[in-house]
Amino acid sequence: MFESTIINSVIAVVLTVLVCFIISTLLPGIERKYIHARIQQRIGPPVTSPGIMAPIKFMFKENVEVSSPVPGLYKALPIICFLVVLCVLIALTPEAYKIPALSSLVAIVGFLKVEEICYVLMGALSKSVMSVRMPFPDNVKGGAHLNATKSFVEDISSKRSLRMITYGSFPLYLALFAPVTAARSIFLSDIVSYQQIHGPFLFTISGAIAAIVFFIGYMIILNEYPFSIIKAKSDVIEGPYMEYAAKYRAVVVVTRGFFMFVLGAIFSVLFIGIPPTIFSWGILVNILVALIFVFMMGIFSAFSPVFTNRQLLPTILGTTLLGILAIVVGLL
Amino acid sequence: MDEKVPRSNIIETEIPMGTVHPAALEPYRVRFFVEDEIVQEAEITIGVNHRGIERIMEGLPVEKANALTEKICGICSNSHIWNSCRTAEMGLGIEIPERAKYIRVLMGELERLHSHFLYLAHGCEVLSHETFSMRIFYMREIVMELLAMVGGNRVQYGCSVLGGVRPRCDLDEAKLLRIKNDMDALEEGLTGFVERFLADSILMSRITGIGVLPQKQAIELAVTGPTLRATGVARDLRTTMFEYDDFDFNVITQPDGDVKSNLIMRALESFESIKLIRQAIANIPEGKVINRDWEMFDTDITESYIEVPRGTLYHSYALESGRVRHCIIRTPSMANIGAMQYACIGDQITDAQLCIVQCDPCFTCTDRAIEIVRR
Amino acid sequence: MGIKSFSRARAIHVMLVYTGGCNGCDIEIVNSILSPRFDAEQYKVFLTWNPREADVLVVTGPVTHLNRKPLEAIYEAIPNPKLVVAAGSCALMGGVYKNCYGDIPSEEIEGPVENIIPVAAKVPGCAVRPQDVLAGVVSLLPTLLDAD
Repeated sequence: MFESTIINSVIAVVLTVLVCFIISTLLPGIERKYIHARIQQRIGPPVTSPGIMAPIKFMFKENVEVSSPVPGLYKALPIICFLVVLCVLIALTPEAYKIPALSSLVAIVGFLKVEEICYVLMGALSKSVMSVRMPFPDNVKGGAHLNATKSFVEDISSKRSLRMITYGSFPLYLALFAPVTAARSIFLSDIVSYQQIHGPFLFTISGAIAAIVFFIGYMIILNEYPFSIIKAKSDVIEGPYMEYAAKYRAVVVVTRGFFMFVLGAIFSVLFIGIPPTIFSWGILVNILVALIFVFMMGIFSAFSPVFTNRQLLPTILGTTLLGILAIVVGLL
Repeated sequence: MDEKVPRSNIIETEIPMGTVHPAALEPYRVRFFVEDEIVQEAEITIGVNHRGIERIMEGLPVEKANALTEKICGICSNSHIWNSCRTAEMGLGIEIPERAKYIRVLMGELERLHSHFLYLAHGCEVLSHETFSMRIFYMREIVMELLAMVGGNRVQYGCSVLGGVRPRCDLDEAKLLRIKNDMDALEEGLTGFVERFLADSILMSRITGIGVLPQKQAIELAVTGPTLRATGVARDLRTTMFEYDDFDFNVITQPDGDVKSNLIMRALESFESIKLIRQAIANIPEGKVINRDWEMFDTDITESYIEVPRGTLYHSYALESGRVRHCIIRTPSMANIGAMQYACIGDQITDAQLCIVQCDPCFTCTDRAIEIVRR
Repeated sequence: MGIKSFSRARAIHVMLVYTGGCNGCDIEIVNSILSPRFDAEQYKVFLTWNPREADVLVVTGPVTHLNRKPLEAIYEAIPNPKLVVAAGSCALMGGVYKNCYGDIPSEEIEGPVENIIPVAAKVPGCAVRPQDVLAGVVSLLPTLLDAD
């Protein structure tokens, strides 16, 4: 009896993850084709191209020797990122609620932190051809500061992702903890069952404020355009992902779409109280939430330039205050 | 223990960018010396795309050399051929028909439009604002179509020849009407864009006070063109050029010398260009477009200055049995390199490329001078 | 058509390298990708600035001395299969800068691009038209699809 429950649970989780994964590969294409291209008055790429066909194409490319001081670790990082996102999704499924250590907010925050630390390491380990390694006679007679140490553009990106860990992703974590004030428990099963009795947390004052904070945090952690300081095209080009080629780039591309979906699923669990599972129509709500988030993010990113510290700090400060307000309102 | 090398100055790190970089439309190397992501000093290395055009021009028949000047730059190609012809015309005393003068001004202003639109689009692209960049590129396409209609090619149209303009570039009624209609469409589109652009508070906070070039510094660095006018100096060579005698236009200035001033400067100048094109269409005189009634003789070195989209362009050469001698070309970006290096200081590294772009660099123009090494 | 060819036909990443032309071709190519009028993305052609991501390298300009090594380095960095499009007359034969003194080759340029890296497609024109660039990149598809 006990074994069959475990087997059933595993099958349920695997099926759920599979369905979520397939849907998540469409999200980058939807953002590009239906939001960006539409706003920019052009036809745009096919929906399948950015999210599905590009990773498959990268899978068939020949692998190259990455230029990095620790190639093994550098190549492992996107896989770690993918596994982390996968773990978050597994923690969200109702079958995982039986393991309290996994299905608590602390675990989810921990997983997200690992994801962010990966960006720091990626940036620090990538030594791309696009900056210092570009063969150019810099140190010549008459050049300025010939003794200065040279940094790769990815090094700036790495420093910036460290800064993002310290304060950038603060709004997201505040928003994650806002539902705790209502449910009085950090375990997802309690939060879900509280909302199934009292109605979605989203429709309270505290929940509505926290949802806005969550959305800003969602864009920050996904490095989407206004907040994409770690991969701003105008200076660091692609930042941490510069050296990934072939299969590793495929993993990077897939992880992005998957992460979009999983963050949407986190929202639907914490704010609406519907966990992603294949055995209920509730999964449609999860998909809908993920799509709405992608639509909103697409509209925001199409109309904003990349931020520098001057805009980033006030935005994050304001959002953080809003997040604190949501928690305080929830506690009262 | 290794020997410690003392540093002559305290510079935290150096970040080189180029010769291939997304923010740069052309190859150049720039080294930023940064401290905590704030640029302390910048060094731009040009000469990356040196092809030696002046050396190639040396000894060519003047007609051929004029055509070659077009290949100096793909953005302001018409200005180069115009000024090169003007140099020979001034030296040889060739009278240009009135109609040709009008067509040259018209092409010059169309080119200013396409150059300024490119500047705005590139600026938005470096700001990572893809949508605005695309909108401007869409409007720029109208101008490109007009240039292709008049000159037959989208980029290098070879309008001016010695004594006037090519007969192919003559404008009939249908072409004039099309230019007129397109100018209306362009003005409408640009007005809408500028209103939207100025109302965007995120974008405004992003570009206000970035890359400031003070007026005093701009004059010291001998900055020319819209970059100078954006610091508040009303200096435009078009006011002194005889081609523009019949035209009525304002010299636009902006007060601050930052990226915002520069962007608005280009947008407002585009409106002036549209005004000039309308005047040219309305008053274009009848007659020939080319004067073939002239003789070739040897001349001394003749100099000619004109105002091109990016500033002051200088051409000079002497003619010797119909061939070009001692050719010197000085393009506006040469003067503006100092401004680029100065403007990035004190700004974030994300804004540094923007500060370079705000001075409207054209390094392909600039890289021509040859150095004679005596051995 | 296998899954390999199928996916390659639906996502082509293009990287641009300017090697010292007159800017005319460069801007026309940027125009062909950034302008909604031509919109390369509708033909599944995406712009990238990272050589590790690219499939097709579009080169413009006669390769000047200082641009030779960067061009080689970027070409080396692209993972196989990779193809090069030489766009514009400078890139495919040196343009006005080659053989400028009659028969004597110019000392200022190293090009055409063929001398430095293998070129798969040549797009003529001075300057190239955006339509031609797109046609050139798309014409490489059969070669790209069959490569292993």
